Amino acid sequence: MSLQFVVDGLLTGSMIGLGAIGVTLTYSILRFSNFAHGDFMAWGTYATLAVVSAIGATFGKVAPIAPLSFGWPLLVALVIGMAFTAILALLLDKVLFSRLRSQGQAIIVVMASFGASMALRSLLEFTFTSRPTYFSRAIQIAMPVGFGIRITPDQIALLLLTAVLVLGVHLLMTRTQTGRSMQALSQNAALARIVGIDVASVVRVTWVIGGALACVAGVMIGILVQIRPFMGFDMLLPMFAAAILGGIGSIPGAVLGGLIIGLAEAGAVQLIGAEWRAAVSFIILMAVLFVRPIGLFGVRER
Amino acid sequence: MSETVLDVRNLEAGYEPGVPIVRGASIIVRKSEIVVVLGPNGAGKSSFIKAIAGLVPITGGTVFLDGKDITAAPAHTMVRLGLAFVPQTENIFPLMSVEDNLKVACGILERREIPARIEEMYAAFPDLVRQRSTAAGNLSGGQRQMLAVARALIVHPKVLVLDEPSAGLSPKFVSMVFEMLAGIRKSGVTILLVEQNAKAALAIGDRAYVLVEGKDRHEGIASELWNDPVVAELYLGQRPSHAGKGGAA
Repeated sequence: MSLQFVVDGLLTGSMIGLGAIGVTLTYSILRFSNFAHGDFMAWGTYATLAVVSAIGATFGKVAPIAPLSFGWPLLVALVIGMAFTAILALLLDKVLFSRLRSQGQAIIVVMASFGASMALRSLLEFTFTSRPTYFSRAIQIAMPVGFGIRITPDQIALLLLTAVLVLGVHLLMTRTQTGRSMQALSQNAALARIVGIDVASVVRVTWVIGGALACVAGVMIGILVQIRPFMGFDMLLPMFAAAILGGIGSIPGAVLGGLIIGLAEAGAVQLIGAEWRAAVSFIILMAVLFVRPIGLFGVRER
Repeated sequence: MSETVLDVRNLEAGYEPGVPIVRGASIIVRKSEIVVVLGPNGAGKSSFIKAIAGLVPITGGTVFLDGKDITAAPAHTMVRLGLAFVPQTENIFPLMSVEDNLKVACGILERREIPARIEEMYAAFPDLVRQRSTAAGNLSGGQRQMLAVARALIVHPKVLVLDEPSAGLSPKFVSMVFEMLAGIRKSGVTILLVEQNAKAALAIGDRAYVLVEGKDRHEGIASELWNDPVVAELYLGQRPSHAGKGGAA
């Protein structure tokens, strides 16, 4: 067995983990499973692609930052794409989720997110067609790093970016007043109001973080694999599996869960064949629900 | 007579429209007083105090805090207005450390004021110091109650409002909690509490109201109320066991 699956698994795991942060935050703070989260990824990626194209059209061809496959336009576009996705999430909450949430039945909100997911995805297909597209068609040479493992510069850069973002979100959650307010709201919404936390503003922060990270995860998929309208929807099961494996509400849990599922998927491809890849998240999800439903870092509800 | 801090007039409140639980209750709390609201089970005590804190919809009447109408203020603005509420149960964040429980309540304080204020709370509640990095869910019942009160006091409230602080505590902790409240009042904090444990509450209270069927039916000096036959009948449906010794007020 080649150890290459470690790199592949960590990369897939990073994408899953970044997405799962949004899933776990929405679940613990807003108390519903947002099935449209995958489509935030796709929308963010297409928005980023659109900005990259616009920069290309304005400034002409920009040389990539050696040895990476992309240049500054993608970095600028990513930041704009993150902002766009955050605004998309806020908008969807305002016109759809917040109204249904006030009726107090979580299942209605879940169903609405399913509908929103389909609508968002179809809009992408309608606008950009379902044909795959790419940020760059240049082929990168993977460098051997020993133990039979090869890695491209893009992959190294994206792993580092993931690490920085995860650390940033973790510090935000544990060291800032905003993060403590988010924790408080997820543990006891009524008490959070009593201690003076403005629930509406914490909810907005939650959407902004979840949306922005979904965009980064999508762009990672776009750089390493391809861009298509279903790219996010196809990540939904592994993201939920990661969030549940890590324990709902836990940021480190979501990321670790993502890495475990990414590694398991990549390992399974080598051991039992690529056609079983998708089954891995399912099996892990079911195993967690059987053995330890609260997940790795979860805490039993009182 | 010292100034009025909390002035509640003809309060009507309830969760469902047309089904009031509080039906025209009025009370006054003056500066540095401990005012106790008593009443039989189902009298609407808890709803009354929650309505004041903005947690139960108010359908009629007014609430003034320091002369300012706060009847329509949302719950999360109450600490800024000067009213700190301690719920009866689930009054701490169980997965957060003791210190984070205090910090999370400091939203309205100046950032640089917060560390000193937290130390002041530890000085006032020394039991919490050793537990500062413990998850609050692991505290004993009495310590949880201390943390909940410390968390409410940290923002310098004009009035501290408590819903049955002795509920669910063992007798040892009950007396500890009431001693704590008496101590807090000595430091000049105004307190309004709803209590099932009438005897212990009246022992530390200055004045008391008896709430029956959502209305304030009786008011008096706390120390005299325990032996008041009207109260005994309203509150217990019977005469207290040692009535007659102290005589009726």
